[in-house]
Amino acid sequence: MLGQGFVSAAAIAASVLFILSLGGLSNQEKAKRAVWYGIVGMAVAVFFTAFGPGIGGYWWLIPMMIIGAVIGTYMAGKVEMTEMPQLVAALHSFVGLAAVFVAWSADLERRRVLAARAADGVMHEFSAFAALVATKAPDELTFLQIEVVLGIFIGAVTFTGSVIAFGKLAGKVDGKPRQLPGGHLLNAAAAVLSLLLAVMYLNGAGFWTLIVLAALAFFIGYHLIMGIGGADMPVVVSMLNSYSGWAAAAIGFTLGNDLLIVTGALVGSSGAILSYIMCKAMNRNFVNVILGGFGGSTGPAAEIEGEQVAIDASGVASALNDADSVVIVPGYGMAVAQAQSAVSDLVRKLRAAGKNVRFGIHPVAGRLPGHMNVLLAEAKVPYDIVLEMDEINDDFATTDVVIVIGSNDIVNPAAEEDPNSPIAGMPVLKVWEAKQVFICKRGQGTGYSGIENPLFFKENSRMFYGDARDSLNALLPLVD
Amino acid sequence: MRIGAPKETSRGEARVALTPESAKQIQKLGHECLIETGAGLAAGFNDDAYRDAGVTVVDSADTLWQDAEVVIKVREPSDTEAARLRQGQTLIAFFWPAQNEALLEKCKAQGASVIAMDMVPRISRAQKMDALSSMANIAGYRAVIEAGNNFGRFFTGQVTAAGKVPPAKVLVIGAGVAGLAAIGTATSLGAVVRAFDVRPEVSEQIESMGAEFLFLDFEDSQDGSESGGYASPSSPEFREKQLECFREQAPDVDIVITTALIPGRPAPKLWLEDMVAAMKPGSVIVDLAAEKGGNCDLTQPDERIVSDNGVIVIGYTDFPSRMATQSSLLYATNIRHMLTDLTPEKDGVINHNMDDDVIRGATVTHQGEVTFPPPPPKVKAIAAAKPKKKEKEPTPEEKKATEASAFKAQTKRQVGILAIGGALMLLLGQVAPASFMQHFIVFVLACFIGFQVIWKVSHSLHTPLMAVTNAISGIIILGAILQIGSGSAVVSVLAAISVLIATINIVGGFLVTRRMLAMFQKS
Repeated sequence: MLGQGFVSAAAIAASVLFILSLGGLSNQEKAKRAVWYGIVGMAVAVFFTAFGPGIGGYWWLIPMMIIGAVIGTYMAGKVEMTEMPQLVAALHSFVGLAAVFVAWSADLERRRVLAARAADGVMHEFSAFAALVATKAPDELTFLQIEVVLGIFIGAVTFTGSVIAFGKLAGKVDGKPRQLPGGHLLNAAAAVLSLLLAVMYLNGAGFWTLIVLAALAFFIGYHLIMGIGGADMPVVVSMLNSYSGWAAAAIGFTLGNDLLIVTGALVGSSGAILSYIMCKAMNRNFVNVILGGFGGSTGPAAEIEGEQVAIDASGVASALNDADSVVIVPGYGMAVAQAQSAVSDLVRKLRAAGKNVRFGIHPVAGRLPGHMNVLLAEAKVPYDIVLEMDEINDDFATTDVVIVIGSNDIVNPAAEEDPNSPIAGMPVLKVWEAKQVFICKRGQGTGYSGIENPLFFKENSRMFYGDARDSLNALLPLVD
Repeated sequence: MRIGAPKETSRGEARVALTPESAKQIQKLGHECLIETGAGLAAGFNDDAYRDAGVTVVDSADTLWQDAEVVIKVREPSDTEAARLRQGQTLIAFFWPAQNEALLEKCKAQGASVIAMDMVPRISRAQKMDALSSMANIAGYRAVIEAGNNFGRFFTGQVTAAGKVPPAKVLVIGAGVAGLAAIGTATSLGAVVRAFDVRPEVSEQIESMGAEFLFLDFEDSQDGSESGGYASPSSPEFREKQLECFREQAPDVDIVITTALIPGRPAPKLWLEDMVAAMKPGSVIVDLAAEKGGNCDLTQPDERIVSDNGVIVIGYTDFPSRMATQSSLLYATNIRHMLTDLTPEKDGVINHNMDDDVIRGATVTHQGEVTFPPPPPKVKAIAAAKPKKKEKEPTPEEKKATEASAFKAQTKRQVGILAIGGALMLLLGQVAPASFMQHFIVFVLACFIGFQVIWKVSHSLHTPLMAVTNAISGIIILGAILQIGSGSAVVSVLAAISVLIATINIVGGFLVTRRMLAMFQKS
């Protein structure tokens, strides 16, 4: 058994390693080292806590960890890069569920200690967490209860929310926003009820209050995320990321463990910042995204003149052969069609021909922050030609050819030109400034927001209809 | 239907309305193609080339006019040709109905439908059949080539062992299609190009082609969108200002290319005698408006003259015809697109749909009636230019003031937040036990560090960031570890499950992050 001193030192070391790990993600090369900081930090934290004072139950602990590790390794090895959003959402749900369980256990332990005290007034020999609870003063116990309530509530919302987000991202649940009749009133009612239960619990009601509380929070998580559409998932996933952190921090307070608090706070703020970045990229506020739907537009959208002109692979190929600079703008459609390796092949060929090929990535492209970057990296596209919106937006005017693959709203000029458009003011990639734009798209439908895209009707736009991967594969042999 | 292209009869016309390539496309529409023997010779297409493309070569013009149900031509018909028109026949050609009223009457009397390629409305859908633009494009290019042919120096500046050569300075007046093409050609030959146009909204186009826009500071500038993208006559004051600007340029420039035309009017005189006199000997003026009287005082249509001070003034009117192969290819394609619109079902049946904006606009006689001028098209040619926002350059004092006030506001906000935060802490400290406050300090500091650190994370690594925070949030395993040794069975089971799922989280999260990061490669 290691002494408390060891455990505390380990906690400090792990906290520092976690901070270094997150800080290291500022660039791609450092990141490869940074992930090791995280791994070592976690190993230190788990090892010293597990072999610290007052810990038992190794017969449970070790087998469970081994099974968990095996499952985790299998999952991480098997997952496709296009399935990353689902995986991240699924993992969030685990943290949420664990938080609920741990908070429940904490309250059970509290009750056990109180029951023992009331029975004979003598201090028993408690093991594990119960021993800690036994030392707490009454006002500390009240705060413990508040923390338990928070832990359960946040954890439960995270759990069902993540499960639904997983379902939507994996296509197992319909991606369209859908709510029970009553809409957000139901959520509000559930929240008020939860508050009521929390007050009852604090005033000494039984353990059942915590179970009902969890059930209500489960409902809120489920119903809230059901009401949010597929394209808003980047915000949802980062929000759940944030919640999983806050849940961990709440548990940290309950258990009086600083390492949990620090880590939870780090994760919580990370998710919060990501949500903020995503919302800003859509020019919508957080509440608007979470409550679902676009704000009412202020007037009729400007009418679009012209027609969508289709083009075939040979037309695109000849334009590419003539071009000196090419920018590719991928969107969720590329992930759906699994077209990233076809894109990569095309880029390799164009670069071999001495053309300047770059990628323009909108912050909300895809279903996860940074989703496109990961897909392109998987297809071996070098990251230094993959640029952010702000880095590339001024270069479109001097670009010969832009290929838009499966993105729609993020290249919609209405955001800039039509103040009545529902997406007015959203920062977009100004692809229409290029000499020629080819839009790789399945059919004539509108994007997620249901807004017609004037880009498709511009004179320098040509529609390259068809499945993105098939289209690009047809294009490849024609490019030289 | 049988589509026939006769040999052009007007003197010096080398173009032809049907090329072997366009014939193949027209046949795909279900039509049959005829051509008069030798019609394409001047443009570089011999009869055999047409035969290979499946075109029937007809011996004489008479037979062709008789056999063809649709006659496609370049120039407007001569009197003899007009006499050959018959009831129900369709003629597609440049017609200039406003200038050729007598001819129009005659065609009407013959009962033929005439589609004038020069009347195709300027809307985006009709661009593919805008023959005026494709011809103007060629004229612009050719104007520069003719100028170069007559100009005694290089276009591009060079420093050679035999001395330094300054670049030629080219002034292009009128930035329509021809003007822009001339700018493009001259810049790619290496000349220094300036351009002028009465429509300020074309300045962007001029600059995009690599020329400098001569800006005229004048209140009442024109809005070209009102007149379908064409220029309209300008006020006398404006004209004065404009000429003053040209007078300044005259001694400096080596080559002047004028392309200024106002639809339905004689060309405005913009390059006056005194400007020609001010130019250096050996300079060249190419007047693309020669057919309409010319922009230059000295221009003689179809002639190349040399002024007293040795300035060459070129007034050719047949620039497209001088590049007959290229212009025939483009014109034939324009005609082919027109036929495509006329044959919507691709079944070889012409559907002369007078409800179609483009076909209606271009048709000048139909079913024994003159249908010129057409009603205005339903779609406006080009969107009205949006008034540009005038952003005032703030003075240094103003800048300083705004910066100072922004700084003040920020300070106020930050102090406000800190004060509120501090007050809340104090309140919390009143009720919360000391042990809680200790943890709370740690929590607040960790949030701060989190915010500082995460802002620096690169956008492209957001997915790995989520995966790694995911793995780290598996730290909740500590909570489970602390509880697993409990004496209560329920607690132990719950904790055990928590350990299991948290471990999946940790291991899965880290491994997948590693996998992702390993994929990021530098080129």
